Amino acid sequence: MSWLIWRQHRKQLLVTLVGLVALAAIMVPSGLAIHRAAAELGLPDCIRQANAAATNPHMICESALERFSEQHVSGAFFGVLLFVFAPLLIGLFWGAPLVAREVEQGTHRLVWTQGVSRQRWALAKIAFVGVVALVISAVYGLGLSWWMAPLNLTGSRFGYVSFDMQGVVPIGYTLFAVALGVFAGTFLHRVLPAMALTLGGFIAVRVAIAALARPRYMTAQARTYQGSLPNEGSAEGEPSVIPTPSPSSGQAREVGDWMLAREFRDANGMGNDNFPDDYAYTWEIFQPASRFWPFQVIETGVFVALALLLFALALRRLRRIA
Amino acid sequence: MDMALETEGLGKRYGQRWALRDCSLRLPAGRVAALVGPNGAGKTTLLHLAVGLLPPDAGEVRVFGASPYANTSILPDIGFVAQETPLYRDFTAAELVTMGGRLNRRWDAALARERLASLGIPPNKPVGKLSGGQRAQVALALCVAKRPRLLLLDEPVASLDPLARREFLQTLMVSVADTGTTVLFSSHIVADLERACDYLVVLHSARVALTGDVEDLVATHRQLVGPRHDGGPIRGVGQVVRARHTDRQTTLLVRMDGDLGDPLWTMHHVGLEDIVLAYMDDTSNDVTTAQSAWGVSA
Amino acid sequence: MIEFVLDGRSKVTASVQLVQQVKQALRVGLLVPGDQLPKVRDVAQSLAINPNTVLKAYRELEIEGLVTGRPGVGTFVARTLAGPSLGNQAALREELVAWLQRAQAAGLTAEDVTALVEITMRAILGVEPPSTQITLSPPPPLAVRQAKRREG
Repeated sequence: MSWLIWRQHRKQLLVTLVGLVALAAIMVPSGLAIHRAAAELGLPDCIRQANAAATNPHMICESALERFSEQHVSGAFFGVLLFVFAPLLIGLFWGAPLVAREVEQGTHRLVWTQGVSRQRWALAKIAFVGVVALVISAVYGLGLSWWMAPLNLTGSRFGYVSFDMQGVVPIGYTLFAVALGVFAGTFLHRVLPAMALTLGGFIAVRVAIAALARPRYMTAQARTYQGSLPNEGSAEGEPSVIPTPSPSSGQAREVGDWMLAREFRDANGMGNDNFPDDYAYTWEIFQPASRFWPFQVIETGVFVALALLLFALALRRLRRIA
Repeated sequence: MDMALETEGLGKRYGQRWALRDCSLRLPAGRVAALVGPNGAGKTTLLHLAVGLLPPDAGEVRVFGASPYANTSILPDIGFVAQETPLYRDFTAAELVTMGGRLNRRWDAALARERLASLGIPPNKPVGKLSGGQRAQVALALCVAKRPRLLLLDEPVASLDPLARREFLQTLMVSVADTGTTVLFSSHIVADLERACDYLVVLHSARVALTGDVEDLVATHRQLVGPRHDGGPIRGVGQVVRARHTDRQTTLLVRMDGDLGDPLWTMHHVGLEDIVLAYMDDTSNDVTTAQSAWGVSA
Repeated sequence: MIEFVLDGRSKVTASVQLVQQVKQALRVGLLVPGDQLPKVRDVAQSLAINPNTVLKAYRELEIEGLVTGRPGVGTFVARTLAGPSLGNQAALREELVAWLQRAQAAGLTAEDVTALVEITMRAILGVEPPSTQITLSPPPPLAVRQAKRREG
């Protein structure tokens, strides 16, 4: 089988590697530039000092952080957004055609009637594609973690998009996308419909899990602040430098926290996200920054489990194709 | 005698529709058999069941005594070419031969190469660029290199020009001469059958209409012409296959089971092609329905 | 080495045609004892016919003692056909030419001549003429039996 797999996929592998190298040619210099800029502004040192002195870095390094944000943050996100689609692209071009193209062109009737059972054929192909997906996603997941490290200083890496692009979750997403593609092929028997199903299914599941499941991996924590917060009017999610006083209850805010909800309440505990006239205190629920890696591992586990389930279903559906 | 292919009450269903039903046949080893029938009669389904691409929904199928579904031990003994001769179009003929060597336990690469060379097929051209006839020959060579005991071919010459068709048949006959392999090929081109085949299976509407030795079939079927006769037995006639009437005359295609006992009938021999067409002919009902639908008098 | 042809439209089966062609070749001297008949494989290939058909024809000839098969080598002619060769029948041939000319003058067409010959052959020689002979023996067609009754 190994000869056949190599011969069938060598062009695809080459194209993928070339694409990866091209993207690296853009990302590595820009990553180096961001790291250099942060170093020039003295950001890493400043933040280290602030943490050592147990003071909030945002208050101390404020001007440097502001300058760094202006220069790099928005451009960076535009360039990196592409990588949000990387798992989907791999699922579409490596996963969906795996079975669908063979059935669409009828070559499954050639290759399954030689001497190799269709189970063995499928396992070998899935293993190959799975390994390719694993390696590529590990490379760009960890590469993006490096690339985004300075940006993580200015805004939470725990928020949407930022969480999805770095760390180990890209591995889970990629394996899931590939498994979905392979399954779609055993279900729909033609490449384009399988791609469409993969696209729709991937987006639906990703959005559902990110919006509904991710906030609940561990019980959120709450904290309150007496009095008013400067920069109250800033929009949620926009990376901005907010100097914060200590909370009256709960853990102090860190840059890496994930804000889930915030309400401005009156003395009776009623309120919403509008600033009321009889404002008494601010109430927030959040996931602490320290939970970033545990959440990464949990979400990766969820998607890997889904991937394995889809691979198993695909193998079962394969038995009925003629 | 060794049975290359045996089926008993074999059936396959897709949802509510039976693509093949109640199919029982026994193909002796060493025969070259033709599987004929109109489109949609179940020929492809039968071949897919025989090569183990599909599991049966009813009855059973055995190739040299073994069940072919999900059975890799019998796979080396069966060579199969599917409809429209699927091949990896970007592979060259040489690469396909290499692929065969990697995927098959028993593989005679030298035989494949020698065959393709003698047919003038270039080894290093992607097979997608070859003509239809050449692709069919490549597919056949790949089968033959397995040294199978049974060859199953699904309409291998359907889209070929007459010359390519003749060349394909020639290559097939040489294989049979050299190895004694059993062949079952489906075709809806009836004309080629008589020279190549010594066994026949006729399918119609998902059922077996006729099976048997070609020699025996030609010897026992006759065409009878006589005065108008609307049913009722005739001495010597075992089965009436098809009846045609004018106002004064009746023409019957029959299977005899003895000497003709009725002097009113004139008896003629029937060729294989006409026998097959008679068993496949079922348009009489369609005609009357269509005539009323068109508003045309019968 | 002789080369076989096949008449796809003949009522006679392929294997019988092959037998007839070998016998005809023997009759006119194209084949003599010791000559090799074409290999089964080559006949199957050139005519695109079932090799079993060729094997059957060769077996039939072997039963009649006209050829012998040597396994692994081929099939070889064993003896000539009994009877004088056609080449020596000059006198008969001349009579036949004269008779044909008289038949033509009497207004007989070619079909009439053939029919007359066949009926007479059956009646006098008691054999079926080659064009309708088949190796399996289902009952003779009704038309033949009617003709026989009319003759007798």
